[in-house]
Amino acid sequence: MPSKAVTATSVSDNPQEYEAEHVHAVYDEIAPHFSSTRYKPWPIIAQFLSSIPPGWVGLDSGTGNGKYLPLPVERPGSMWTVGLDRSRNLLDIARTAGGVHREVVWGDVLGRPWRDGAFDYAISIATIHHLATHARRKAAVQRLVQCLSHDHGRALIYVWAIEQDELSKRSIPLQAHAEQATQLSANGSGQDVFVPWVLSTQSKPSQKSNPAPAEDQRASNEIASRTVQNAEEAAPKVYNRYYHMFAKGELSELVIEAARESGLHVGSRPTNVGPNKEVPRRGIEIVQDGWERSNYYVELRCWRI
Amino acid sequence: MVRLITHNLLACHVKGCTSNNFPLQFKDVQIELREAEFNPDFLRNFMPRIEWKALVDAARQLGDTSLPEEQPEMVDDEFLQKLHHVLLEVHVEEGAMVCPNCNHSYPISNGIPNMLLAEHEIG
Ligand SMILES: [Zn+2]
Repeated sequence: MPSKAVTATSVSDNPQEYEAEHVHAVYDEIAPHFSSTRYKPWPIIAQFLSSIPPGWVGLDSGTGNGKYLPLPVERPGSMWTVGLDRSRNLLDIARTAGGVHREVVWGDVLGRPWRDGAFDYAISIATIHHLATHARRKAAVQRLVQCLSHDHGRALIYVWAIEQDELSKRSIPLQAHAEQATQLSANGSGQDVFVPWVLSTQSKPSQKSNPAPAEDQRASNEIASRTVQNAEEAAPKVYNRYYHMFAKGELSELVIEAARESGLHVGSRPTNVGPNKEVPRRGIEIVQDGWERSNYYVELRCWRI
Repeated sequence: MVRLITHNLLACHVKGCTSNNFPLQFKDVQIELREAEFNPDFLRNFMPRIEWKALVDAARQLGDTSLPEEQPEMVDDEFLQKLHHVLLEVHVEEGAMVCPNCNHSYPISNGIPNMLLAEHEIG
């Protein structure tokens, strides 16, 4: 019986090839089984998208099957989210997410195929944790901020946490690495892991939906165990996806470091601004950060004087 | 999908290609027209975000000359309908987008533009 437990891994010397093998190739393979037709977005993501004013245009960087493109459900078409992803096969699903034609672009989160400040908002959900080094994760944050309006751009970044909620602790045992995880968590460096996707050759694609840990965990647990049972007879295929599980505080630190190295001030917009005053002219403010359902998130806002 | 709403956001990102890298020029395109829901509230609020000349030129490349050279200050429903059609109902399904500066060609296949570059090519 194939194990669905998370296992520790270490990244090879060539992170680009490593991601190609353990992230991009895997998603292209499993894309047809990655259906998620009735997806209920988590509160932080839904609230963020519901707070975007009408007429704004945004980027979903790492859109996958495009499940956030139809949001907010209460006022469809009042804003436009363009989806970007590395997996061409997932984009074929995303292009009609929610039964409406969407705008999707095949590209990499480390690229920047946009004019400067093109977007009013951006989301990066369960994506940056697939990049295999700190430097690459930082570059992804920088790319995200670069494509935002300098004056009012807003972004939400959401990644998988070492700190799992009760539910996933049962299904994603890290016992073997618990001590190590705590240790790593304490110094804010996270942990590199493989998360297996078990694909039975017997069950139908509709039954094989096995969302990523950062997504619908409950459904994932149920379906994963069912798939594993089927899989015993059916010579299942196991795809190991690479994840960097973030430690407490690591995502905020990453965002702050990324912004500062791009020459941006981190903090609220200075209020007392005279013409001759020495104040920073551009910056980002972290509006909120926290933990939700086994994930860390950071919401930021850009400002310019 | 490459509709003109997206084309108006895309720029070439080849290393060193930092000026005159927008807008990309359409080449050998196949177009499909598909009706989309008209949302005047979206359009009114979206208008200030548009790079207008790029949109007008791109529409002309695709054979649509309905938009005026200058973005009008007063907008009525008739104008918004035209804008809606140009932005959201013209789908470029096949073809390419070419950078006016470095001539890099970004292919469009099955309605999806390929903006991937090798990492060493990214600026
Ligand atoms: Zn170029």
